[in-house]
Parts: sequence; C-alpha cells; structure tokens
Amino acid sequence: MSEDTSTRTSALGDLKKIFGSGSSNLRQFGILFSLIAIILLFQYLTDGLTLSSGNLINLVSQYSYILILAIGMVMVIIAGHIDLSVGSVAAFTGIVVATAMRDWNMPWPLAILLGLVVGMLIGAWQGAWVAYVGVPAFIVTLAGMLIFRGGNQVIGNANTVPVPDGFTIIGSGYLPEVGPNTGYNNLTLLLGLVIVLAVIFSEWRARRVQKIMGSTPAPLWVSIVKVVLLCSVIVYASILFAGGRVGTSFPVSGIILGVLVLFYAFVTRNTIFGRHVYAVGGNKLAAELSGVKSRRVNFLVMMNMSILASLAGMIFVARSVASGPQDGLSWELDAIAAVFIGGAAVSGGIGTVIGSIIGGLVMAVLNNGLQLLGVGSDWVQIIKGMVLLVAVGVDVWNKSQGRPSIIGLLTRKKKTAEFPAEPPLVVPDSGTPESARPQSTLPN
Amino acid sequence: MSSDHVILEMRSITKEFPGVKALSDVSITVNRGEIHAICGENGAGKSTLMKVLSGVYPFGTYTGDIIYQGRNVHFKDIRSSEEAGIVIIHQELALIPELSITENIFLGNEPTKWGAIDWITAKKTALELLARVGLRDDPDTLIKNIGVGKQQLVEIAKALNKSVKVLILDEPTAALNESDSMHLLDLIRGLKGKGISSIMISHKLNEIEQVADSITIIRDGKTIETLNVVADGVNEDRIIRGMVGRSLESRFPDRTPHIGEVFFEVRDWTVQHPQVAERMVVKGSSLTVRKGEIVGIAGLMGAGRTELAMSIFGRSYGNFLSGHIYKDGKEIVLKSVADAIDHGLAYVSEDRKALGLNLLDDVKRSIVSAKLAKISSGPVVNDSKEFGIAEEYRKSLRIKTPSVNAGVGKLSGGNQQKVVLAKWMFTDPDLLILDEPTRGIDVGAKYEIYGIIQQLAEQGKGVILISSELPELLGLADRIYTVFEGAITDCIPAESADPETLMKSMTSARKKVQSI
Amino acid sequence: MRKILATTAIAAVALMALSGCSTRTETAGGDGAAAGFAEDSVIGVALPSKTSENWVLAGGLFEDGLEEAGYKGDVQYAGASTTVKDQQDQISAMVTNGAKVIIIGAADGGQLATQVQSARDAGAIVIAYDRLILNTEAVDYYVAYDNFNVGELQGQALLDGLATKGDGPYNIELFSGSSDDANSAVFFGGAMSVLQPKIDDGTLVVASGQTDIKQTATAGWKAENAQSRMDALLTSTYSDKTLDGVLSPNDTLARAIITSVKAAGKDIPIVTGQDSEVESVKSIMAGEQYSTINKDTRVLVAQAIDMVNVLQKGDTPEVNDTESYDNGKIVVPAYLLPPVIVTKDNAADAYANDPTLAPLTE
Repeated sequence: MSEDTSTRTSALGDLKKIFGSGSSNLRQFGILFSLIAIILLFQYLTDGLTLSSGNLINLVSQYSYILILAIGMVMVIIAGHIDLSVGSVAAFTGIVVATAMRDWNMPWPLAILLGLVVGMLIGAWQGAWVAYVGVPAFIVTLAGMLIFRGGNQVIGNANTVPVPDGFTIIGSGYLPEVGPNTGYNNLTLLLGLVIVLAVIFSEWRARRVQKIMGSTPAPLWVSIVKVVLLCSVIVYASILFAGGRVGTSFPVSGIILGVLVLFYAFVTRNTIFGRHVYAVGGNKLAAELSGVKSRRVNFLVMMNMSILASLAGMIFVARSVASGPQDGLSWELDAIAAVFIGGAAVSGGIGTVIGSIIGGLVMAVLNNGLQLLGVGSDWVQIIKGMVLLVAVGVDVWNKSQGRPSIIGLLTRKKKTAEFPAEPPLVVPDSGTPESARPQSTLPN
Repeated sequence: MSSDHVILEMRSITKEFPGVKALSDVSITVNRGEIHAICGENGAGKSTLMKVLSGVYPFGTYTGDIIYQGRNVHFKDIRSSEEAGIVIIHQELALIPELSITENIFLGNEPTKWGAIDWITAKKTALELLARVGLRDDPDTLIKNIGVGKQQLVEIAKALNKSVKVLILDEPTAALNESDSMHLLDLIRGLKGKGISSIMISHKLNEIEQVADSITIIRDGKTIETLNVVADGVNEDRIIRGMVGRSLESRFPDRTPHIGEVFFEVRDWTVQHPQVAERMVVKGSSLTVRKGEIVGIAGLMGAGRTELAMSIFGRSYGNFLSGHIYKDGKEIVLKSVADAIDHGLAYVSEDRKALGLNLLDDVKRSIVSAKLAKISSGPVVNDSKEFGIAEEYRKSLRIKTPSVNAGVGKLSGGNQQKVVLAKWMFTDPDLLILDEPTRGIDVGAKYEIYGIIQQLAEQGKGVILISSELPELLGLADRIYTVFEGAITDCIPAESADPETLMKSMTSARKKVQSI
Repeated sequence: MRKILATTAIAAVALMALSGCSTRTETAGGDGAAAGFAEDSVIGVALPSKTSENWVLAGGLFEDGLEEAGYKGDVQYAGASTTVKDQQDQISAMVTNGAKVIIIGAADGGQLATQVQSARDAGAIVIAYDRLILNTEAVDYYVAYDNFNVGELQGQALLDGLATKGDGPYNIELFSGSSDDANSAVFFGGAMSVLQPKIDDGTLVVASGQTDIKQTATAGWKAENAQSRMDALLTSTYSDKTLDGVLSPNDTLARAIITSVKAAGKDIPIVTGQDSEVESVKSIMAGEQYSTINKDTRVLVAQAIDMVNVLQKGDTPEVNDTESYDNGKIVVPAYLLPPVIVTKDNAADAYANDPTLAPLTE
C-alpha cells in the first residue's frame, strides 16, 4: 500500500514537472492555468469567436505593444523600481517619428532607428536621475509622464499626424503570401513548424543537460506529454493564424514581440546582466558587496524600458496609421498590471518575462472577450481591476500561508483527496517543495 | 520576607529559539530603588532577557516566572509591561525625528479631551517631565534638532510619563559623548533616589563600576553570578573575569599554523562617517596580514571593526579620507567592491541576511554571484558549470540543503553562512575578511566553520577574523588587534593573549600601536 | 528524441485533419451595398467616451432604433482615458462578430484607418457618424450636421447677442474645440467667416489677441481646460476691461466659461454654444448662456439608421454632398443635416418635439 502510494505520488510529482520544477515555474503554471481557463470560458461564451482566426490575429496586433512594455516593465520591477512614463514616452516617440517622416520625408526604416534613438536618450535621461542622482523612479517617471506627454502635444500641436504606408508594416503588416496556394498562409505554417522543432530540440537539450549535471530528469513520458501538448497548441495556433482572411496572417508586430520575448527571457535568465538585475532587486546591499555595480544596472534597466516603450509607441502609431495626442494613455497601468498578475513582487527581486507575458495575455483575452460580448468599457475596467486585485491578492495570501498559488492549493487538495492516508503532502523527491519561496521575501 | 525591598524577580527563565537555547535557567533579583547592571559578552543573552521582561517575547514563549511587586505577572506584549511600570529604552531610540519633544513623549499615550488631543495639558506635563530629567529645551522643538544625548533624556521623560517603576536601559551611553554620558548617569542616580529601579545593560565597565549597586553576569545564556558592588569590592577586572572566564579547550579544531611573509598591509587608514562629517569611524589604523595567518580583530560593538573592514573592501562604507593599502609589496587602490574582488579580497559580512545574501535566490546562484564572469562565456552564464561548482561546494562544505536549487532563505543560519563562505571561496581570494562569521549559528555548525577558516589559512590565504566572542579569537587567531573608538589600540600575539588583557585594550585607548 | 518527433508529427497531422479544410475567405469587397444583408444582422456602433450628453443620448437611440428595426445592435463606448485604443479594439471586435454595417463616432478620426480597412475587407460597410474618419479609402458614408454652417450660426448668434448690448466696439474672446477633432477647425472656420470681417473693421476686439486656432484650442473638449484658460484670460486681460462676448464651440465649454466669469465676479458676457445640453438650455432660459445649436441627435441617429435600412435592402443610400469631405485619401459621400440656432426667444419652438428639453422651455 505504502509503496503503491509513493509511486503514484511521485508520478503526480513528475506530472507537475511538465510545467517545470521550482517555485517560479509553478507560479507561472498557476497563471497559465488561469489563462487557459479564461480562453475556454470566452470560447464558450462567444460561440467560438475567441479562437477564430480573425480574432486571434486581432488579439496579437492589439496587444503586442502592451506586451512589449511588459517585458521592459518586469525588468524595472524586478530591479525594485517602477516606470510610469512608458505611455508618454511611447506617445512622444510616436509623434517625433511621424513628424520626421512627414516634414523631413525621412525614409521609414531610418525613422524607426530615429525612434529607438529617441527612446534611448529619454531612457538615459531618466536612468541617470534614478541611478546616479538617486531620485526614486516613481518620481522621475511621474515627471517623465508629464514631460513627454506635454512634449507630444507641443510637437504635434495636439494634432494627429499621419504616417506613410511603408511604416505601417510594423503595426498592421502580416507575413506575406509566398509559395503555392495551400489554403493557408505558408510562411505562418513554416513559422509554426520552426517553433515546433525548437521546442523539441530544447526539451531534448534540457534532458541532456540534466543528465550531465547528474540530476535525474523526469521520466521520458513526461517529456513526451509535455512536448506533445506544447506542439499541439503551437500547431493549432499556427493553423488558425495561417487560416485568416487572405491578406492577413501572423502579424509582424507579433513576430517582433516573439523575438523580444525570446531575447529578454534569455537575458534575464542566462546572462550576467540578468543575474545582476535580480540581485539588485532582491538585496541591493548584498549585491553591491558582491561587486555588482547597482547604479549601472539601474541605469540600464531604466534605459531599456524607454527603448522598448518607444518601440511600442511606434508599433501603435503604425497600427493607427497616425500618431495622436492620446497615444499611450494609461499603457503604464496595463503593463504594470500584466507584470504583477505575472507573479512579480512589488518589493523587487521576483518576476519573469514569461510570467509577465502570460499575465498580459490574461488581461488581453479578458478585454477582448468582454468586447466580443459587447460589454461596455466601463464594466471592462471594473472587471479588469477586480481580476488584478484578486490575482495578486490570492498570491499574497497564499504566500503568507506558505503556499505558492491557487494551483498549488488545487493540486494539494487533489492529492489529499486521492490519498487520504498519506501523511506527508510533499514528497522530497518530487523536487517541488511548494513553499519554495521564503516566507518573508524582504531583507529586514 | 523579601517582598518589601525586592521589586522584581525573574526566576529560572529559559528561552529557546529554533536550534538555539538563548537563555537557560537565568535568574535575577532587582531591589527597589537600585541600579542593577547586567554584564555579558555580545550574544550572552542580555537583550533576550530584557525582551522577556518587557513582553516583547510574550508569556508562554518562555518558561520560568516573573515576580513583580510580589505578584506573578504574565506580560502579553510591551504595552502590558509598560502599564505595569516596566519601561525599556532601546539602544536604537524609538523617537520620531519629525515630531516635537511633546508629541514624542505622548506618542501612543496622548491626553484627550472630548476626543481631541489636549495639547495644553500635554505641554504642561511635558514641561514638568523635562524639568525632572534636567532638559531645558522648548518642548516644541523637533527631535531631529536636538542631539543624541538630549534624545536619550526625552526617552526617559517618556518613561517617567508612564509612571515607571523599573527602567531598563540598553546601552544608554553607547552613542553619547563624555559629558552627555555623565549627565545621564547622574540622572539615573537621581531617579534611584526617587525609588525608581534601573536595569542597565552596558559594555562600558567603568560606568557600571561607578553607578551600579549590583551586577548580574550572564554568559552563554546562563547566570554566572550576582555581585554586590560595595560588599564584593567589584572592579573592572573582576567583571571581566566573570564575563569571559570559561574553558576554551576543544572548541576549536587543531591546527599548526604555517605562516609566511607579510603580503597585505593597511597604513594610516582614516575614514569618515558617511553622514556626520566630523565623526571619524576609523582613525589612523594600520595592520598587516601574513600568508597563511589568521589575524583577529577584537572590539566591542560600535568600536569600528566592521567600518574598518568594509572601508578596506572597496570603500563600501563611509567616506575614505586617507591611508594606503599594499598587497604583495605594491600599493593598490580599491575604489569599488569590484576592484577589491579583482585584487583578491573577499568580505563576509556580519549581517548575513541584509548584506551577505539575496534571500530570494537559490543556493547555486548565490554561490557564483560574486564572480559570475568565471563561469560565463561573454555575457552568458553557463548553467551546467554553475550547477557543477555549486555541487562541489555543497559537498566540500557539507551544506545541508535538499538540492542546490533550493532557496537560501530556507536554510538554517549555519548553512546560509556556509553558502556565503562558498560564495567568497569561489572568487579565489588571497585575503578573506570574515566579520562575525559565527554569529547566530549553533555550536555544531560553528565548529565546521572554524575548520573551514583554518583550511583557508592552510592553503596560504590570509584571513582577518572579526569577532565579538573573545574565545573564538583566542582559539583561532595567530595574532589579535584590539580596536577602540575607531583606533587600533594593541596588537597581541595569540600566545600571550588572554581575555582580560584583550578586554582592557578593547575598553580603553591605551596606546597607539604600529603594526609589528 | 526520435519518439518525441514521431509523436509530434502524428499529433500535427491529426490536428490538421481535424481542423478540416481551410476556412480562409477571399476579400469580401467593399461593395456590399449591392448585395444587401439579412434583416437580423449585427450592426456595430462605436462611440467615443461618455463625456458628452449627446453621445450618451445617441447610444441609447441607436440601441432602441436598431432593435426596433430588427437588427442586432452592438453599441460600444470607449473608456474615458483610453478612447483611441478602446475604439480600435471595439471596431475589431465588431468585425469579428460579423457586423454588416459599422457606424463610427470617431474618438480620433485620424487613427482608425487600419480598423476600418479590416472592416471593409471583412465585407462591412463603414458609416462615419458626426466625425469624419481620415486617411483611409475604407469609409463608405459620412452622416453629420453641416458643421461649417454650425460655425456660421454661432458667429452670427454672437453678433446678434452683442447687438442687444448697445453699440460697439465689443471685447470678445474666442474658444475652439479639441485640435484632434477634425470638426473643431470647421466650426471655428465657419464662425470666423462671420466674425473676421467685424474684427477687421474694429467692431469686435479680441482683447487678448488670441485669434489663432492653436491658441484657442481646448484640449480633449474638456470643460476644465476651457475654464482654466478663461480664468487666465480674465486675470491677464480683463482686470480693467469688460468682456462682452465669448465664442464657445459647444455647451459644455460655454458653461465652463460662464462658471469662470462668475467666479471672477464679472458680468456674464454673450456666450454661444452647441449641442442643446440640458444644463445649457436651463442656462439659456435663465438668461445666462446666450445661444446653443440644436443638432437634434434624434434626427441624426434616425438618418443613420435609415441608411442602414437602405443598405440592408441592397440599395444605395441618398447623399447630398459629394465634394466637401476629403479625408486625405478620398472624398467621402456625405449626407448633411441642417443645424438650428436656439436662443431664449425660439427655444420653445425648437424643442417642441424633445421630451426632455420641451418642459424646460415653458
């Protein structure tokens, strides 16, 4: 009996490894689960419109820029700061770029470069105040929010400035139609195939690395289930994306987003700089005493945020075919909400790029689904506010109870229900001690 | 029979923290209207005892009895002990700098009339209280605008307002200058005349000798003895003997030192307080370290040991004023922590949680965090190398953790300290500065850490060991510098050192020593 | 590794098979008018935020009117702080929902090109309601009141009102609407076509000298912005002068201007308005605001719904202006309704059919 339960429990533990091991992954699984639940809910409520080609394509192009902001914002928040200026910086860059193209006939690729340079300069300005003068980022970026919103209106005379067609590709362009007529967009299918291969390869590599490290990887069937699940989703999604109306397919802005997500997920996880961001946010003093140049880290993080904000601004302008005085209004709130739903901590040191993207998608699907249902924007705001509060509230509450998330709770309950006689709920070899996060995450 | 003149008696107090027995069967008796000093080394259990008394550790979290004014009392929090007339004044003053003297005195205890604060009564009472403590400042003055000495008096006024019967003072003169200290001690004597008992914790043995009526000595969480100052003819030496007099055998692994030549030297090191420009936290200090040598630094809390160490370690504390550092015969300039690490220095902080570790991180990331470049190709960290190195240290230092992927926040103090040591050993330093490496660590882990320190010396590295525990210094170090008020007062070879001589050099500016 | 590959391949093929043939559609073409559509089709109505009574009223009228005609009305307002983005997303959602006609009261007419293009690509007909949609070919019709005429009427009302105050010259100040709203310039241009000659001949004096539309603009049509500008003008210019008249582009701003003047303790000047908001009609009847414009929202909404009805049958709706409304890409065929100026004198007549306003004029 006891042997039986232990094998079954470890099988359950293995099953969890599908979503990776360690507390942060489990936390992400919690949000991912919520995302899937919300998608399925709206899929039902909208009679299948949510997962229709057209809507998915819309969803990606409508939210790509918010998600791009979330990437930068999570790094800012991990480092223990906040950036309220992103919307204004986006709007400012947008108007500068639009005006440059209109008044100086600047070619659009050059204009994009100009936009990124503008973002970099703004970021350097704000970063210098935060890192070297020591003004709290909240204040610096609150000032930035006013300064660059005003700047947008000075340059554009509070008017809308249209942009040329070439430029709009980054906001409303799609993968082009090439090759034989298959009834699908061939490039989108190809993209899906590439991602599938990448997923398989990375899982295979992860297993190999685990073996080299001498730790026991999860059983093979777990890997297979994981890969099959992931690949099915990718294949299904690429079929949907490829099957949109002729002329539409996977949006260019979605590709930009995807590249950025991969890049920044790698930077935060696998580079020295990424480590330093976590170190400064987790314990600045300890980081400094370990030789981390915390001021430089803060400077770069703030600068990076503004560069991404300017990119997001340009994508929005491209999608709107014009830069307007209202661009970027309350984007900072959407981005910050995404990051916190994605599991970041207000005190810094905790958070992941992937988590924030999933958090952002939760908001995006919610918004989109409610709009499809014809719910007014007033109620959409109320519902989004509640979701943010509940998501973070549940997380905080569970942490204070020594549990990681709703999902941890669910799986735990399920376990006790299945094996009522088993006393220890966490089996050492499952590799997922659920209270993996320290109770008090703050030094002092 | 004793209930007449005994106001407070703590009987057989035992207080345990997870893994540590902080107090074991401690008893103390305080008479009405006396000044009772509690002496002991850092970590002996003095503060814990006072926290038990004042209800910080509520009834039920300790065993033993507190008999106060003839009754067995159960304080559930600070408020209940204050209501009974037992008031504690902490070393870190609990005053709000942005509020006035009056507001601070009545904080949490405001006199009200019709639900609004009655400032007239408050100010009148404040004036009376200030007169009693001999403070002539306007009660509307903001706390931040008066000196530390006066702030201390305000604290006492605040206590008097709560009709205090037993006043507990934790290191009351630690931050005061000579004349402020004298004034404060006079005041405490004056209170004694009015029937108020004081319990005083202090490292300044000369002051204790002056004002205390009786002294209880605590060591390792146990009551050693209670002395009557007059009757027993107590002097400083007598107190020191009580504080440190314990057997030192077999607490340290055996080691035969192999000491090479001097490779690290600090000369005339002077550092300013980061905020208060006129305060020198390190004054013209010089020291040397030889290869394979363990150099001890002894000093009381606040003497400037940590400040000295951190300022050497890439100027990570205070404002550097003057001084030189030589390594392997050449002068080196360390302007940042990164410089220091590059030159082969390592610093293990006394405050593991606040300064040593990112508690959100896992074991493997913590171990490599001070020299990521060593396991990276370009900007990219190599995960498998990281894992391998962490595993190595986990095995060699016997870090008890389910895996190197576990969070450091969950480890015990001793294992956290091993992670910190691993982190600095990974940087492959020539000189390790260890600041209180065994603070808050249980005995078993201590022994292991002693072993690690000795191994490091055996590998030819220089070690500077800062410790408040004299036995630790005597047991490990080859040579001991003593520090008092920011200056190095003595350098004593281990063979000729004993607790009494160390304690004397640690408590007085006797002579200025050049490094030997 | 091989196993994983094989399994994935099978799964992929299975999914392909399950999803069946491609549901991909060719562009439906913008010429949906000829074909007509089902009587219970979805009709989308995207309106800006509820910051003005008129939009709130229009939304209600659209809901009722479309329901009455048998359509599935999908009426959406943008959020107050994120109007442009909300509206873009709402229009996309309407396209996804298969709307046949999308009526858009644009928050910013310059930033909807992508969305209306995708609406046209999906076969929906786009009607710009009250505000023109710019820089796109994908707008089929424009229905609105004649806004240049509105401006002319406002200018004339200001002159008429001033005449009641005795002889000139009169000190006046000019306000215009939000500069991101294409109509602002049209109103202002109409008004100035009447006022400019009088300014030139010295009958009217703009004491602050602020006559450029950039100087007179009111960002976001927000009352607070108009009020603070008026406060500033009164302090800077009218400490020792009388203010005789103010050209205000709408009622919300008119009331803000009056509030400012009252707060400064000055006599209320002649103030024009537009939109026939309840509070302004009360104000006119009380003798404070001088005039407003009645662009009866009922008539405009009815006109828009009429167009939908015509389109539903597959016919082409009537237009009465095919020249004036160039949106930067094409000239949008427009149906313009004539506005009516309302002062205290003709209020009872003008609002006789309005159940809300009529009682106020008694």
